[in-house]
Amino acid sequence: MRGGALAALLAAVALTAAAHEPPPAPPPLFEPPAVGSYELPVIQRVSEHWLLAADGSRAPLLGIGEAEVALVAFVYTRCGDACPLALATLQRLDRALAARPALGARTRLVSVSFDPAYDTPARMSELRGHMRPKGRWAFLTARDAAALAPVLSDFGQSFVQIPDAGGDPSGLLGHVLKVYLVDGRRDVRNIYSTEYLVPQLLLNDVATVLEVAAEDAP
Amino acid sequence: MSLRNAVSGAVGLVLGALVFASGTARADETCQSPFLAKITGQEDYVYVWTLGVKDWGDESDKLVTIGTNPARPDFGQVVSAVAVGGQHEAHHGGFNDDRTRLWLGGLDSSTIFIFDVATDPANPKLVKKIETFVEDSGGVVGPHTFYALPGRMLISGLSNAHDRGGRTGLVEYSNEGKYIRTSWMPQSAPYGYDSRVNANLNRLLTSSFTGKNNYMTELPKLMKDPVAMENFGNTMVVWDYHAMKPLQVLEVPGAPLEVRWALQPRHHYAFTTAALTGKLWGVFRKQDGTFEALDLGPIGDPNAPALPVDISLSSDDRYLFVDTFMDGTTRVFDVSNPRAPKQIYERKIGSQLNMVSQSWDGKRVYYTSSLLANWDQTGPANEQYLKAYTWDGARLTPSFEVDFRALALGRPHIMRFGDLELHRPAGLPEPEPAPAAAAP
Repeated sequence: MRGGALAALLAAVALTAAAHEPPPAPPPLFEPPAVGSYELPVIQRVSEHWLLAADGSRAPLLGIGEAEVALVAFVYTRCGDACPLALATLQRLDRALAARPALGARTRLVSVSFDPAYDTPARMSELRGHMRPKGRWAFLTARDAAALAPVLSDFGQSFVQIPDAGGDPSGLLGHVLKVYLVDGRRDVRNIYSTEYLVPQLLLNDVATVLEVAAEDAP
Repeated sequence: MSLRNAVSGAVGLVLGALVFASGTARADETCQSPFLAKITGQEDYVYVWTLGVKDWGDESDKLVTIGTNPARPDFGQVVSAVAVGGQHEAHHGGFNDDRTRLWLGGLDSSTIFIFDVATDPANPKLVKKIETFVEDSGGVVGPHTFYALPGRMLISGLSNAHDRGGRTGLVEYSNEGKYIRTSWMPQSAPYGYDSRVNANLNRLLTSSFTGKNNYMTELPKLMKDPVAMENFGNTMVVWDYHAMKPLQVLEVPGAPLEVRWALQPRHHYAFTTAALTGKLWGVFRKQDGTFEALDLGPIGDPNAPALPVDISLSSDDRYLFVDTFMDGTTRVFDVSNPRAPKQIYERKIGSQLNMVSQSWDGKRVYYTSSLLANWDQTGPANEQYLKAYTWDGARLTPSFEVDFRALALGRPHIMRFGDLELHRPAGLPEPEPAPAAAAP
């Protein structure tokens, strides 16, 4: 069953990816505000944390310099709904950033599992293989739940374990999907939930925070 | 709640955000922020933010929790009542994005109270007070609407510290209670009241009421003061939500109050009511992406406006419940054709009536009585209650009621729904119902 859930997830996020390319995002019903035409005030400050990379080595969660940004999404591989949407959005961003070196070189995408007991580095590596990142995209997990807890607390990402019919953990986690845009000072400049995962909007925000000239922007 | 429902309820939390985004939403109460965690199934509690009254019990504003699940023994009972100390003109409030915290505001003191509703949903705990709202915001007074944004709370004010008039702004705080920024209302439309986001359109819609000088004055006295009565808002503002910049000012005379966006994804319109003219208004997106405000007609007797207050739209965008304060009546409009609403039902709920909340499935509707401490009726007409009904699409049927006056709890105002399963991890037993609070 668990393997089935992972397969379902991977199928969902890589559905069209016979060619390993994400489908185009549906066009938004609005024109995202122009790069640099608005402010993204600091929502909160987070710390750097050390987790496990897909190859099992220690890796920084943010891993960015002062003039860079990170887009951090908390997901888990047995998740069948919101997480595939987040991963598909990150995949679209990865492709878009790869085509815009002025942004891509200064932007790191980070997928962090909050199910470390199941999502081992090997499973995150498998997920990475399906995503086929073209740019800086890290797939991280933690040694165990205790190692991950301060990370979730720092970011304000809550979740609950969903019980099965017998009241035991089902392997599913209830959570509100959040993708965090973090700048080089470790300040969170925006947070996106399912309702607002519009790739063009995220790209414009990245360019706005990085103060990339409009001609180099998305 | 059965275990089966517990599972489906929790799964609903996961599904909700995604399903809501795709437009076939399933959630609890309607008319909430699209960024809020959504739950399915029967609500277990209704949280009621209640104004303290002199000589009533401890006289303090308080958060009252009432059981609403017919399958539980605390159904229709007061489960807990947490006094915050003092009278702050308790008014509105809302959950943060993951529903672990309930933010509640006082219009008089501008104090914000943050309750933990996750650790023990039956017994919310006050975990933080923000007493620097005015200073933080640069002079905004009267925190009114509390609207969850991802990782933060959007709070629309009613007034300002400079002249206690109607010029005000929108204030953002992080979920941790750290001030982020203030966006003042535009000079051409300075008043504020409600603030609601349509994420699909990247539009924020705000409405307008009046300043502290007016909302803290006794209503009969205010209505006899023609100068004061000039100081009400007549506008709504369409904002670029992402940029937090005003785009368009709409003329809506007579203090447009509650804003309700249609909930279906292809319905690009919103409703409001004008308090002073007693009219229902619609705000419709035009072909060019701008908006127009249209007068949709009177609510009740056009010659005797009864002060429309809270409204609630069903999840299928078919029924709009409209409360009028002065005659204590709720009216249901069929808004299937949003430009031509038809009243299909009315019922007198009490001597006075203000707030209305309905479940996502549209089967349960809750009402409370209080508007403002100085605007509520006096003497025997000052009924204070929560009344619950079932709705079958044609009529309301009484379910239970709680007499806040008899229990000396105070004046009940806004309601928010609570759920036991939303925050309980797997492996923990269902908690025993708390004993009903004794009448003071």
